[in-house]
Amino acid sequence: MHENRDLLLRQRIFQLLVLALFLILIGNLFYMMVLRHGFYKDQALENRQVRFRVSAPRGRITDRFGTILADNLYIADITLPRGALKSGQPDSTLQRLIRWFDLPEEETLQRLAQQKKRGRRRLTLVPNASMPRISAVQERGRQLPGVRVESRPRRRYLYGSLLAHLVGYVGEVGEADMDTTAGGKSYRLGDEIGKQGAEAAMEDHLRGNDGLKLEEVNASNRIVGRRTIWLEEVEPGQDVTMTISLPLQNEMDQAIGDGVGCGVAISVRTGQVLAACSKPTFDSNLMTVSISSSQWKALIEDPAKPFFNRIVQATYPPASIYKTVTSLAGLSYGVIDTTSFLEPCYGGMNFGNRYFRCWKRGGHGVINHTDAMVYSCDTFYYQLGLRMEIDQMAGAARAFGLGKPCSDIFPSESGGNIPDTAFYDRRFGPRGWTRGVLLNNSIGQGEILVTPLQMALLTARIATSGKTPDPTFILDPAPEIKTPPALPFKEEHLQWCRDTLWQVVGRGTGKAARQDSFSVAGKTGTAQNPHGEDHAWFVCFAPVENPEVAVAVLLENAGGGGSMAAPIAGKWLKAWFASEDRRRLFGSAEGPS
Amino acid sequence: MNFLLLLLPPGDKRIFLAWVFLGMLSLAILWSVTEPIQGPYEELDPGVAKGVFFRQVIWMMIGYCGLLAAAYVPLRYLDNIAVPVFLFSLALLALTLMIGPRIAGSQRWLVVGPIRIQPSEFAKVTYILMMAHVLGLTADGMRKLPVTLGSLLITFLPMMLILREPDLGTSLVFIAVWVGLVFWYGVPGLLLLGAGSAAASAVFSFYSETVAESPWPWAIYLLVLLGGLYLARLSILSSVFLLIANITTGIGIPFLWDKLKGYQQERILTFFDPSRDAFGTGYQAIQSKVAIGTGGLFGTHYLQGTQKGLAFLPERHTDFIFSVLGEELGLFGAIFLLMVFLVLLWRGIHHATVARQPFARFVAIGVVSYFVFHVVTNVAITTGLMPVTGLPLPMISYGGSNLLTSSILVGLLMNVSAHSFND
Repeated sequence: MHENRDLLLRQRIFQLLVLALFLILIGNLFYMMVLRHGFYKDQALENRQVRFRVSAPRGRITDRFGTILADNLYIADITLPRGALKSGQPDSTLQRLIRWFDLPEEETLQRLAQQKKRGRRRLTLVPNASMPRISAVQERGRQLPGVRVESRPRRRYLYGSLLAHLVGYVGEVGEADMDTTAGGKSYRLGDEIGKQGAEAAMEDHLRGNDGLKLEEVNASNRIVGRRTIWLEEVEPGQDVTMTISLPLQNEMDQAIGDGVGCGVAISVRTGQVLAACSKPTFDSNLMTVSISSSQWKALIEDPAKPFFNRIVQATYPPASIYKTVTSLAGLSYGVIDTTSFLEPCYGGMNFGNRYFRCWKRGGHGVINHTDAMVYSCDTFYYQLGLRMEIDQMAGAARAFGLGKPCSDIFPSESGGNIPDTAFYDRRFGPRGWTRGVLLNNSIGQGEILVTPLQMALLTARIATSGKTPDPTFILDPAPEIKTPPALPFKEEHLQWCRDTLWQVVGRGTGKAARQDSFSVAGKTGTAQNPHGEDHAWFVCFAPVENPEVAVAVLLENAGGGGSMAAPIAGKWLKAWFASEDRRRLFGSAEGPS
Repeated sequence: MNFLLLLLPPGDKRIFLAWVFLGMLSLAILWSVTEPIQGPYEELDPGVAKGVFFRQVIWMMIGYCGLLAAAYVPLRYLDNIAVPVFLFSLALLALTLMIGPRIAGSQRWLVVGPIRIQPSEFAKVTYILMMAHVLGLTADGMRKLPVTLGSLLITFLPMMLILREPDLGTSLVFIAVWVGLVFWYGVPGLLLLGAGSAAASAVFSFYSETVAESPWPWAIYLLVLLGGLYLARLSILSSVFLLIANITTGIGIPFLWDKLKGYQQERILTFFDPSRDAFGTGYQAIQSKVAIGTGGLFGTHYLQGTQKGLAFLPERHTDFIFSVLGEELGLFGAIFLLMVFLVLLWRGIHHATVARQPFARFVAIGVVSYFVFHVVTNVAITTGLMPVTGLPLPMISYGGSNLLTSSILVGLLMNVSAHSFND
């Protein structure tokens, strides 16, 4: 029957079609479940296990008695997988987030594209996110697959302005840092890296090693399991102890007040810096967040230069403080005695065709070596300088460690300048200068330049006959301490120098630093400044009988050292003498009177 | 004793056995899916409630009643009431669009007291009866072309109403069933060729529009078609008919594409490249494939699938239940399921061939087409061969309306098989 044959044909076709469709399905299932089984199995594992990098907290920085100066604050970023941005186009999740958070779309996409270009595995949509945004993401986790709230430690400085120059600050690792970082620590863009001060110098010590863990996540990429597998343990950075004492630092800060300048106090026995203030200063916390460009501009363009670390970076003529060096040089070369008289001072002297003034217009009259130092007579020192060679005086200065950087953690520290024959030959030509430079050199003016820290060191070495090691800012990990070379001066001359400095404070130019309860020896200085008002210097050590600390104070454009700088040093010494820290540092608080 | 025998419906026992197997498999998988998620994941993923399993048990019983009813009701009676019943279901669909609650953006349900029914599911049954009635009346006549074209109208009525809900997956079922029915009816080869080539033209045109973004793929297809027509030496009239069909669909597709909603376009585009939005619309497709691929030969063993447990599989108890089956029971489990379906289909095709009454033949092939489309499409979607659109796996996926519909359709098949030789 035709109809029947026709129907049978249709049946065959229908059966074949159904069979073909089922075979395709089964073939595909075979392909997926047998041939590609391994691939999908890995995918399923990857589905559940996601690698997380865990930032290692940076080591803390403390003062010498354990007070925390810098620690870490945990902040949260909202991050997305790299794939959220494909050839500059956001996926649906990213679009949603931009809408919810009301972010500027073009700017945000550009920023993310940049992060992607830099090779970041996850893109940071909102750094340091606010609590409402964090909870928005966490509540809607299921609608935001791949989006995570990731916390990371951020640096916090508890005494941002007080210690900005010493502790320094951290910044984001930039492209340039990637090539230069050493020490076997891996950095990724956006990591924190020390940029200044102890943060930079102790970077390898402070920085820990980031950990890597596998976490189980659910469909919306949220961590679900407690079965964390650590591929690499987090190694937190190690703490650093500085030599600074926070209370003594505070005292120094208050003593200087609003002045532009700096004050530094070191232990004469160990060379450790106990307090070091450079003013004006800035808040180092500003450097760890993205500072606004106007704030940054204000800091950079401030004529008082708050970023300038005057303790080690600034150089000034040492002025009359240098007379100690001139005296000791003269004594050691035998051109003068401690009791010698030279020509009397009538307010200055002629040399060549120039008149060199003493600071005291009326002159000091007949004056011996000791009184010349006590009253800081320039005329006496002009004559003493002329009795020596320039290289002899330079040698004496270098014996104290002047002319080169002396501390441990500041790569930008200045060495100052101690001029010698070679220096003047280089600058003026071999015949271009005369012995007249000796006059300026002998009173610490002219081409001689020193840092305030070097002056504190000079004072300490006079106090200890040269036993004070180079100044250090780091207590732990302990820096290598080198025994300083012996001074080429006789002990009796150094003793004379110390006695004389004691008289400077007792009856001379440094009376403003005198203390009732203990004895102070010091020297004032007034550095001539061709650009404006003179800089005021004062250095001292105390107690004279058994020296513990040496202090150097410099105030820019403040005038006379005796009237401006000496009271600051005196104020600090007074606070120091009564302080608990002194007892802990030097044993008995009851110093000899 | 006699009463108990009534519980075993008359007809092809293999069909009934397939229904039983499928029902048990469904309950087994739903038991696994509704197992509480263990340990730490509990608080983050509430999982699927056990109630889903017990509700499915109840629906299974209701479905069994539907199966019995469909198996016992005289076919001739069904033939007689096909038209009013079909009109009634159209009315229900219209009512749904008017008073149905909007749930997750679509109006698919009518709420009667505590139960939600989906009129589109029952429209499938009444549509098959209606088509069988119409085609059966004219099965021996010679005016097959006008009847075929006229039956398109019957198809479009429920389709349009369902598309408005909107429910793309379900509306496509009607096309598939229509194709099966008119093929069985004996549609002229030309029409079939026209429909087939028009569909191919649509695919090429779509490819040109979205992926290639150049008219060349479609143009080359047209050239090949022209060459084919020349070689086939068809009459001028037939050739012109075919060309017009191809060109209209080819030009129409880009217009239709523009009319689609953004999320629909995105779904189709993501089908071509699921990774283009791996955490968005491509997510289901990727996760489903991973689950199935993880299954291997024997599966990760019953109750131990990791993908479903960690909530990687969305819709894992409804449209994507096949992924769970693949993951837990492996290739053998999947093949077993397909074989049970194949038995059902094979018997269905057999009875569609041997039944004496034209109405019975068309009912049988309508039911077969329904199952072919649902099973093949659902498995193809879960294995990433087709774009994701909501479509349950009949008898297996959780959902009362679909289970009842499928059971009634199986019952109709039983009915046909029991009365193959009745005139």
